[in-house]
Amino acid sequence: MRVEVQNLSFSYDYRPVLRNVSLSLESGDFLVVVGNNGSGKSTLIKCILGINRVPDKKIYLDGMEINEFRKWLRIGYVPQKLDDFNYEFPITVNEIMHVSRYSKMRDEEKLALFDRMGILELQNENINTLSGGQLQRVFIARAMVNHPDLLILDEPTAGIDSESEAKFYRIVNDLNDEGVTIILISHDLKPGKSNFNRIMRLTDGRAKTMAASEYFEKGVD
Amino acid sequence: MELDPLVLMGFIRALIERQFMQYALITGVLVGLLAPMIGSFVVIKRLSLIADTLSHFSLAGLSIGIFLLNILRLPIGDPLYVGMMFAVIGALLIEALRSYYKNYKEISMPIVISLGTALSALFISLAGGFNTEIYNYLFGSILTVGRNFVYIIAITTFVIFVLIIIFYKRIVIISFDERYARLLGIRVGVFQFFSTIILGVVVSLSIETVGVLLVSSLMIIPVAAAMKIGNSFKTTLLIAILFSEVSVILGLWLSYSFGFPSGATIVLFNILILLLVIIVKKIFTSPHAEEATTFESEVQPE
Repeated sequence: MRVEVQNLSFSYDYRPVLRNVSLSLESGDFLVVVGNNGSGKSTLIKCILGINRVPDKKIYLDGMEINEFRKWLRIGYVPQKLDDFNYEFPITVNEIMHVSRYSKMRDEEKLALFDRMGILELQNENINTLSGGQLQRVFIARAMVNHPDLLILDEPTAGIDSESEAKFYRIVNDLNDEGVTIILISHDLKPGKSNFNRIMRLTDGRAKTMAASEYFEKGVD
Repeated sequence: MELDPLVLMGFIRALIERQFMQYALITGVLVGLLAPMIGSFVVIKRLSLIADTLSHFSLAGLSIGIFLLNILRLPIGDPLYVGMMFAVIGALLIEALRSYYKNYKEISMPIVISLGTALSALFISLAGGFNTEIYNYLFGSILTVGRNFVYIIAITTFVIFVLIIIFYKRIVIISFDERYARLLGIRVGVFQFFSTIILGVVVSLSIETVGVLLVSSLMIIPVAAAMKIGNSFKTTLLIAILFSEVSVILGLWLSYSFGFPSGATIVLFNILILLLVIIVKKIFTSPHAEEATTFESEVQPE
């Protein structure tokens, strides 16, 4: 999916969070967004996801103006924290997938997705019994269950161990290789783990975007 | 007090021979199904106090209904209709206050409870003070429900059941993860509006069974017990319904056989089951295993 952001500024209660941010992603691009806490990373994502309402003609998804855009199932999202999920009540991995799926998926496809995410053996487990890394893979699977062509991940590796992190990057890189556009928000960039080809650094709401090759040559600042 | 088999036989004979017992059983079984079913979604959303709030607000409607009927002699039919209307109004009021106090959402409950209780006190007094009718609304009177009520509750149960089956996926995802539901393009506001109305209706209908003061226990306690032993959402829901039905039937039996208040007996059975679940769970879960679970869910290592 192509993503186009044109001179987007956004404020919460008159407090500017994004200032003139522009971005242009082609299908299959892998963008990493880095920046300190409060730099506007999550706000930018909320704008692209339609959670924050933006003025007309600022964001285009596959050429469609965001306020006209309706095909939200084409965007998968893995949240930063699982706080939004009321996870103390029993529900199995399979049940989460079932209630999150609104497009066709054959059983074999579902099992293949579970297998790929390393959660095949967990499908009938209550999610309260899963570890942080397992839960996170469940939430990536949930984001993939409607066959999205844009996957947005908000600080996905925070609080998980290095083995889970390596597993996570393998999955995301593979999805990108298959043509899924990726936007990955990261507190700190760990080179060599993800296959990103674009990088955006946000500083006080101002964005600087460059190709990965340029970043490796000169550094981001 | 002796529980000899004859008492049970007497209960079964009453169920076969006496119409009021049949009405009571049908009402109890239907409320026993509806209350935990709706209660599960309420518990997931951490809104357990909402049922209590709505039942108190519904009492205001019932008192106004009694006042209109007995004092002003207005042909309003059954005060229950006014009670139902008030439960729905109360539910909408809570929603409105919750969006007004975004960061202090729970503030909506005491406000609506206070308004409901104050209006109840006022209209009970205007309607001539405390009487059996009011007592029945407070503590339930399942043994006195009439044919009309059985029809109302049967139709309501059927409609709610069909709605839950049709919108099952959307209702579950909204309950567990409202924000994600919005991202999926689900019209969360519309669903919330209708589920609030349904909640109001179920609360006001449950009042006949266990009364204003005990309604929330019918919706919440079986769910509280079931969520400690269920592994999946569906099994938890089924266990909650099972616990609730067992309590209703045992409660009805004891209440008929020994003249205990029906609502209180049903609720006490619910509490007994909850206690048993907690004790059995404690016995079969070693302290070490419990520690491990806490560690896993809080620190979340792989």
